Amino acid sequence: MRTTSLGILAILLLPLVVGDYWIYQFGLYFLYAAAAVGIGACWGRAGFLPLGQAMFFGIAAYLSGLALIACDGSATALIFLPLAAAASGLLAYLIAALVFRGIGESGAYFSMITLALSLLTFQIANNWSTVTGGFNGLKGIPGLPGIESYTASYYVAAVALILVLGLCGWLYDAPIGILWRALAENERRVALFGFDTNRLKAIAFGVSGLVAGIGGVLYAPQQGLVSPQLTGFILSANLVIWVAVGGRGTLLGPVLGTLIVGALTTQLRDTIPFWEVLMAAFFIFVVLAMPDGLAGAIARAATRLTASSHLARKLMGGGAARPKIMAPARTLEAGGAQLEIRDVSAGIGEVAILDRLSFAIRQSGISCIIGPNGAGKTSTFNLLTGELAARRGQVVLDGVMVSGMAPHRIVRRGVGRKFQIPSVFPDLAIADNLGIALWSGRASWLDLLRPRLRRWTSPMLEELCERYPFLAEADRRAAELSHGERQILELAMALLTEPRVLLLDEPCAGLSPEETQGVIDVIRWAAPRLGSAIVVIEHDMSLVKALAATVYVLHNGTLLAEGSVAEIQADPAVRAVYVGSEK
Amino acid sequence: MSPIFLIQAINVLYGVTTLAVLVLGLAVIFGLLGVLNIAHGEFVMVGAYCAWAVTADGLPFLLAVPLALVVCGLLGLVVERVLIRPLYHRPFDTLVATWGLSLLLRKTAEAIFGLGFRSVRLPLAGTWHFLGVDYPSYRLVLIAVSILVLAALFLWYGSSRTGMRIRAMVGNADLAQAQGIAVKRLAAGTFIAGTILAGLGGVMVAPLVPVQPFMGLDYVLRAFFVLVVGGLGSVLGVLAGAGAIGGLDSVVSALIDGTYGYFTVLVVAILFLWLRPRGIFAHN
Repeated sequence: MRTTSLGILAILLLPLVVGDYWIYQFGLYFLYAAAAVGIGACWGRAGFLPLGQAMFFGIAAYLSGLALIACDGSATALIFLPLAAAASGLLAYLIAALVFRGIGESGAYFSMITLALSLLTFQIANNWSTVTGGFNGLKGIPGLPGIESYTASYYVAAVALILVLGLCGWLYDAPIGILWRALAENERRVALFGFDTNRLKAIAFGVSGLVAGIGGVLYAPQQGLVSPQLTGFILSANLVIWVAVGGRGTLLGPVLGTLIVGALTTQLRDTIPFWEVLMAAFFIFVVLAMPDGLAGAIARAATRLTASSHLARKLMGGGAARPKIMAPARTLEAGGAQLEIRDVSAGIGEVAILDRLSFAIRQSGISCIIGPNGAGKTSTFNLLTGELAARRGQVVLDGVMVSGMAPHRIVRRGVGRKFQIPSVFPDLAIADNLGIALWSGRASWLDLLRPRLRRWTSPMLEELCERYPFLAEADRRAAELSHGERQILELAMALLTEPRVLLLDEPCAGLSPEETQGVIDVIRWAAPRLGSAIVVIEHDMSLVKALAATVYVLHNGTLLAEGSVAEIQADPAVRAVYVGSEK
Repeated sequence: MSPIFLIQAINVLYGVTTLAVLVLGLAVIFGLLGVLNIAHGEFVMVGAYCAWAVTADGLPFLLAVPLALVVCGLLGLVVERVLIRPLYHRPFDTLVATWGLSLLLRKTAEAIFGLGFRSVRLPLAGTWHFLGVDYPSYRLVLIAVSILVLAALFLWYGSSRTGMRIRAMVGNADLAQAQGIAVKRLAAGTFIAGTILAGLGGVMVAPLVPVQPFMGLDYVLRAFFVLVVGGLGSVLGVLAGAGAIGGLDSVVSALIDGTYGYFTVLVVAILFLWLRPRGIFAHN
């Protein structure tokens, strides 16, 4: 809080210290910084890189310029300016929703398309002379009513930037900001907590378009001129450099980068030959060696100097411990689900994995799936969570056909999963890992904007924390946990979603005998409390005996046998498979 | 066949074959190494400046070929060692790093040659009389060279021992290494081959386009769209993609104007990402 007020105070007092030249420069770079903060949201948080961000800055600037000219500088224009920024945000959201719908991934394809769109916008701005003024741009844009001096214009830009920082800081603090970071680490896992990851990314891009739009809208009256270059490549490229150098993962890093690099550039471009070459080389260096940029370096230095990590946490965006709030109950029917796999075949390429598999789980309680390696056990889980498509047959959950649905939709119907290799979010704090599980199926889209959800807890979580005290070490990063603790953390996350069907893939893999016993206890403790159907893949027959009433034996992608442990052990077909093929 | 139609047909053939050669370098690096080299266009630019440097000194144009080979090869060598090798299997980081490289190369060109356009004199002026029409000789030569390059690469990759090793590396790098294939050196060689192909493409087109620091942007995007449509991993795909993108662009640009051509290409590429994310020949 103290750093924030100091920062705001510094911004407000700056005009008393420096002359008009710097006031003008800072006024301009504050607007660029707003756009840079948006890139930080996409690149540093949600994990995809927009390469054509100038297009949203430029489009908003054109709209704002046109509105100001049409209103001839009267106050009526003020109605249109927020709309112009909103239009930029909406456009960004729609583009991302369209592109991510098709490809899902966050890598090269999206970046290349944003780059191409920015070049297209430049061409349109350049050629559509009747509206945009063509190559020379939109000239003679009146200033905002009442804003005449450089200083006034500086304050307008400063307020806009503070607004943008406030908006993004709030989002980073809210569940949606945590989910952005989580999906940058492991998108598939976020989807398997029931979140529509493509929409989460589209929202991040929409926000980045909106804040770029806020910058662009104010650029037009400040500069009085909007030219096609504003939508094009050079500004897009510079924004990415500024964000990288300043530190993409932090809220203030992009602002720092924009102000420092931008200000240095205007000073040194003409005096140091090859200045821009040096900047490009520095950019590569930062990408390779200093991924959290100047802000990260400052935060580390501050931590070392003050030994208090307050500023560091401020800069790096850490969580805080406040009173807990009880999360609402999940709005699913209680009790075990009716789950049925009907005659399903599935495969990848030419390889057949499941071969006319049929079985049903109708009662709550624990059952086990066993089978030799390659029998299709994990693939059955992938089928149930919608990650493996059925080529024939159906999966029916509570009378609804779920095969063909997107994974996050299936999960929202009450399917939870734990992976064999623990897949928690290593860079997130333990509390946020657990939070994601609690929000799953309980939080609406609107809820995801409310930072107080970070304080949610549930009766089950409280009890789990008593069993495993490390779960209560809220600020510790999951990356610092041992393998065994990660297994427990992910098991806890799977339980906290309170699913109707819980799929546990070798929950004891890699655990010591004591840890294994602990996990078995937790599963047996949770089963009656959840009242759900728990399906465990397990190799160790002694654990199977300890856990399950019913055992399903899979072999070559089909069901070989089904029954109690004793029945299975007596089954000659099962014996033949195991004696013939496994240890 | 009417002469106008024939000229249009040769134009399309010219557009498609040269585009295919310009895509090759990107296709090799992206398809085989999984690295999307955004600086691909800048290697084309470097090649084009090689052609300019040679002809500006009054030397024969063909000397640009060995010059571009050496310059782009050395650049590729250094870049692979410094930038790409630490980042294999981290596609997002290579994307950002090669994007930084593209800035660096472009700014360097800007600092050395300035922002202005340079033109390279046509090494082969005049037209040839061909099937009853007159067509610029240099373009006819380019068509022939492009087809030769594509065919040679196709045959070499499919039948040479090195081609087989590369295919082994792409299929399973660890297994290939265990079989005694020097995977690191092979990957470096593949990357350098890609940058050299880009440079040679730059030499080829230099006499026909304005040579300037920003010329690479257009090529890398166009090449990327070709790969989106054609898919990765086959010369046939590159040809099909080049045919679709080059053909579409020239037809729409001729009928309406260049902006619409560009817009259409972009929309088609996005549609492909939706409907056939692995390109035109993918089975799934």
